[in-house]
Amino acid sequence: MRIPDRRFALYLMTPAALFLAVFVAYPLFRLVADSFFKISPLVGGPRDFVGLDNYVRAFTSPDFMGAGWRTLAYTVMVVTLEFALGLGIALLFTTLGKKSQIWRTMFLYPLMIAPIVAGLLWKFLMIDNFGLLGSLLSQAGILQNPNQIGWLSNPDIVLFSVAIPDIWLTTSFMCLVLFAGLQNIPGDLIEAARLDGARAPALLFRIILPLLRPVIAVALVVRGIDAARAFDTILIQTNGGPQSASETMSLLIYRTMIRFGDPGLASAMGTIYLLAMLAIAFVAVTTIWRPGKDT
Amino acid sequence: MSTMESPVIPARHTSKGPAPATGANRRRRGVNREGLEAGKRSTRTILWILLAASLVLYGFPFLYLLFTSFKTPIDTIAVPPTILPKEWTLANYANALGRSGVPASFINSIQTAVISTALSLVLSIPAAYGITRYKTRSGRVFIMAALVTRMVPPVAIGIPLASMMASVGLADTPIALSIAHTTISLPLSIWLMSSFFEAVPQDLEEAATVDGCSRLGALWRVVIPVVSGGIAVTAIFAFLASWNEFLFALLMTAVRSQTTPVVIANFQTQFGLDWGSMTALAAVYSIPVILLTLLLQRKIVAGMTLGAVKG
Repeated sequence: MRIPDRRFALYLMTPAALFLAVFVAYPLFRLVADSFFKISPLVGGPRDFVGLDNYVRAFTSPDFMGAGWRTLAYTVMVVTLEFALGLGIALLFTTLGKKSQIWRTMFLYPLMIAPIVAGLLWKFLMIDNFGLLGSLLSQAGILQNPNQIGWLSNPDIVLFSVAIPDIWLTTSFMCLVLFAGLQNIPGDLIEAARLDGARAPALLFRIILPLLRPVIAVALVVRGIDAARAFDTILIQTNGGPQSASETMSLLIYRTMIRFGDPGLASAMGTIYLLAMLAIAFVAVTTIWRPGKDT
Repeated sequence: MSTMESPVIPARHTSKGPAPATGANRRRRGVNREGLEAGKRSTRTILWILLAASLVLYGFPFLYLLFTSFKTPIDTIAVPPTILPKEWTLANYANALGRSGVPASFINSIQTAVISTALSLVLSIPAAYGITRYKTRSGRVFIMAALVTRMVPPVAIGIPLASMMASVGLADTPIALSIAHTTISLPLSIWLMSSFFEAVPQDLEEAATVDGCSRLGALWRVVIPVVSGGIAVTAIFAFLASWNEFLFALLMTAVRSQTTPVVIANFQTQFGLDWGSMTALAAVYSIPVILLTLLLQRKIVAGMTLGAVKG
């Protein structure tokens, strides 16, 4: 009485699949369903079917469109800077070889820090008046006075400032993944290119980066998804302000739901946001990542 | 860890001593160089300085948090700020830990993280084993579906989840929050465990089943012990995901089951801007996991790069 392997495999997967169905798929279904209703935030309040009205309101709301563009800008900025820094440091570790190992360990620590703590810490460093960053820059003669930049109070640059803790936290991840990728590049290849007279820039752009492509793609996709969902660090630093200048999609949805008490609209926004993420991730995975190809 | 012969971490293969000389060029630039390693002494010195500088910049913010936590309230918001405390004091720690709700939040954080880790392991180990060992179509569909759930923004499912929990009487409990956290860590755990099972030779269970073990028995008695290192890595990641999580905790907990990240965030509004106590609490919350990382760094690096580099 032996059940076939296929059925046995199915049994093994069932508990996890059920869990994800009940606690991820069903809430998502509720989210989509809610997006067609006008819902009173009060418990047991009225719930009226309004069709696509919430979607129309979302797309015609400047807040929503603004948050969409800011989320995109934030994601591109975070991922680009992280990649550049992570690659730079990974190359440093690689060129320095084995002796740099202990330093690699030290470099890991921000990965373990809660985003909320990182946001708090950087807020403290960048805050007007007693923030250390402005003070140090002005003591170094770069700024005329410590509050000249107004990291978190100037709407023009606040989106960049709130990204700093995120970059600080996860450059380590980029660096680690790229470092691991670099270790897999055969030394002979580099050697041969050097003998052919390739200099550092050619080595980097013609050999190293193309060989790292699969690794880079995965790292960018994974981090891009995370950055597009950023919430903790921004909430604690600015709560989306000043003048909504750092309000990304997660924050807008949160505020629409909790502060403005409009779960229907928030659900429509959440649904659009999720679909956009899936679409972008799908395009990214099929065009850049291409699992199984040219690895 | 013998189970992790992935293409990921042969970090040490670059330094097998002097490699076979490939020409006069190599000798001229330095003997130890192989592949990308820099040869010239002067280049290396510059690179070391660069590395040291970037590590100082990287390490400094947290050190500043620690220094601040030992400052007096006036020093904390002094203009201009000083890096080191003028006067070292433990008052912030006493203040932060003595505040009502703080010790309870630590217990909540630990409870939630432990339950969530256990749940992730119990669900992901059989699932990952089913996916990697039997390679069925349903398995491939399932692992893709699990990856897609990684993209779901927590803010989108937080509220429906909270109302589901409330309707079964679990509102504001560590159980409810740990279930929410497991929605984050389970897909990751399945992915990680699949990579670890992939590395176990199939002959192992075949031998066990020939000896009369059932498939479940082979998994339990033969395979699980072999991947115990991988299970530890997965457990660390699941634990950290829950320990550091904030948004679900904010949406799903009130007073009774509040975790420390929510308490830290609340310091801002509830008690005015008490930076000193906030930094002290943040330090107490972060240091155990930082120490854990440093102790287990090799395993953590392995786990972190495994999924990504394998693609």
